[in-house]
Amino acid sequence: MARVRGRLAQLGQGWGGLGLWWLLLAALALYPYTGVTHLTLFLGSQVFVLVTLASNWNLIGGMTGYVDFGHAVFFGIGAYVMGILVTKSPLLVSPEWGFLQALPVSGAAAAIFALLIGLPTLRLKGPYFSIAMLGTFVAMREIVRVLRPLTGGGVGLNLPPVLNRLGDYYLMLVLMGLVVSIMWWIRRSEFGQSLIAIREDEIGAEMRGINTTLHKILAFMIAAFFTGVVGGFWAWQNTFIDPDVVFIETRTVEMVMMSMLGGLGTVWGPPLGAVVIYVLQTVVWGRLFGIHLLALGILMVLLVLFLPEGILGTSGRGGGTSIVRLWGRIRKRSDP
Amino acid sequence: MKIKINELSAMSYRLGALNMRFIRMLVLVVLVALAGCSAIPTPEVREDVSSETSTEDGAAADVIRIGAAVSETGKYSREGRDTRQGYGTWLEWVNNEYGGIDVAGKRYQVELVMYDDEGDPDTVARLVEQLISEDRVDFLLGPYSSSLTQSASAISEKYDKIMVEGNGASESLFERGFRNLFAVLTPAGNYTQSALKMLAEQGAQSVVIAYEDTAFPTSVAEGAQRWAKAYGLEVLGVETYPRDVADVSGIMAKFKEVEPDIFVGGGHFNDAILFIRAAKELDFNPKAMVITVGPSNPKLVQEVGADAEYVIGPTQWEASMSYEDEYFGTAAEYAARYEAQWSEPPTYQAAESTATALALHLAIEAAGALDTNSVRNALRELDVVTFYGPINFDETGKNASKPMGAIQVQDGEILVVAPGHAAVSELRYPAPDWKDR
Repeated sequence: MARVRGRLAQLGQGWGGLGLWWLLLAALALYPYTGVTHLTLFLGSQVFVLVTLASNWNLIGGMTGYVDFGHAVFFGIGAYVMGILVTKSPLLVSPEWGFLQALPVSGAAAAIFALLIGLPTLRLKGPYFSIAMLGTFVAMREIVRVLRPLTGGGVGLNLPPVLNRLGDYYLMLVLMGLVVSIMWWIRRSEFGQSLIAIREDEIGAEMRGINTTLHKILAFMIAAFFTGVVGGFWAWQNTFIDPDVVFIETRTVEMVMMSMLGGLGTVWGPPLGAVVIYVLQTVVWGRLFGIHLLALGILMVLLVLFLPEGILGTSGRGGGTSIVRLWGRIRKRSDP
Repeated sequence: MKIKINELSAMSYRLGALNMRFIRMLVLVVLVALAGCSAIPTPEVREDVSSETSTEDGAAADVIRIGAAVSETGKYSREGRDTRQGYGTWLEWVNNEYGGIDVAGKRYQVELVMYDDEGDPDTVARLVEQLISEDRVDFLLGPYSSSLTQSASAISEKYDKIMVEGNGASESLFERGFRNLFAVLTPAGNYTQSALKMLAEQGAQSVVIAYEDTAFPTSVAEGAQRWAKAYGLEVLGVETYPRDVADVSGIMAKFKEVEPDIFVGGGHFNDAILFIRAAKELDFNPKAMVITVGPSNPKLVQEVGADAEYVIGPTQWEASMSYEDEYFGTAAEYAARYEAQWSEPPTYQAAESTATALALHLAIEAAGALDTNSVRNALRELDVVTFYGPINFDETGKNASKPMGAIQVQDGEILVVAPGHAAVSELRYPAPDWKDR
């Protein structure tokens, strides 16, 4: 039993985890060949978006321990850079190529913004950082509203309505595969270990010669880059952006919720959490029409009470993931 | 800040040396994937959506399926409920009283598939996708709010499905060149037309405009400036304010100095209260206050009491209007029917939703067919007067033929004063100064 626990604690840290992940990606890449509807493809790309967002948030919120309550600001910047580029830039020839060209630019803009905002805010610790980021998020919504000639103000921007569910599916599949692989790599690398050292004891990490500022900023920029790319993608796929649909608080809350449910700081936790929450949202919504928000809320409370470290969380006492420990506790109770 | 260049390079070295194996693997996988992409054919996506009707499953042969994603929860839950009930009023009537839609002599019952979009653009997109590709609806009715209609209509356009809507008034919806989107309500740009025309006839000469910086109020304000010019009113000032504003006295103080005859303002219900209170406090005395959202709602009189007197507001529809049709009778008869079914009087959102469904219904009957092309053509040619007002779509899909009504609060009552043929009371103009009331 102890050995099983040890194995589970190491879950996915080795090459086996990555191999399984790439197998899953390959299976998902072949899935459309089995004959699917546009709805299935759309649901797939929505799940991939959530997985990517949760993984990104986990890099700064889980591994580095800086709980970012305004992470959706990078999503918003990405969305607006995309919106402005495809509607106002004369350089882009066809809308679809323009979209693909603008996608990395959306990410880069978010990363640059992360650098600028990270320099002051990452000096703050604990709840102060969270609140500063929340403030940044709300401020950005208002700034976008005021910069009317560029952003369309409160009226928003209409993007060309070119919907390609199959293309979207593969694009997000590749992006998700890349992001989660990078998270796996970071988790194993010295860079990742340094981030965890910062989370556990920032002063100690600094004393041991880790340049904490550099590490934090880099992690922040990586997380912002991919969040920005996802934002750009979302703007394209929704074909319409205004400050109120792009900068909504629930997007950050979702990222936090999915990471926490899966397991903060783990590689495979946030993707799992994203899938579980998405399935719960859609299934619960289907069955419990009318009281679905209440049901989802109660479920979240239960999860936080009984699985505070998330499904794959390992940070607590004893070995094994928290699922294993929960199972152990239940067995102990039922033994006379 | 202690980032030094040599540290950065040392760091990048460490990052690289740590796991070259990983990067090599990643590059390999990407290359294989790219090679695969060029060699493998694109997967087939089942395109069932273009099938003309949902008749393949025998039992549903005489049924027309209509789908809609409308908020039941979320920020539009209140208006969403009115919208649902409006659709429901038509559904009840068409199936049980009218006997089904008459398509070339054959009667079709209507099945209405409705989901809750939670006021969320991702959810509305998913549900519209589901309505089209799984529930295989024949036609779509719109969600509540302009921004959700933006998301939903792009999808119905992609699959070439007709969407008739009555709850997205923003002009930018109709600037995208969509062929399948039709809206029965008066577009936002025409909101102030009746009121400004009437006031210009009464001798008003100047106007100031304040509006919330979001899609719908912006369209209203741009229209107001256009109509002011058309009726020879001088625009003395235009101001914007952000959503959820808490204080408008700065704007009102500015306006007080230019002494306009007409004040036009608005965005949301709460703004109406702020404008009236600020005008009274600052003793700002325009001869008429036109507030775009609020005055037609009885709650405004409850909130500000006698100060709401003389305030003018545009309205899409009132039960006291003199429109009528052969289906629901007069506006008042429609209101009575609605109240009998839902135990509350209809709001204009409810009435326009019923009119939305009715417009689709009439177009299907006129087309005598269920395919998108015939019904689209019939919608373009539709020219009827309903309990809700005239419906006649222009080439962009807007119902430009319907004039906006105007109401004025008179002795605590909300009375229609324009347009002339729908009016039940005379306009009171000019409003007396605050100190003389």
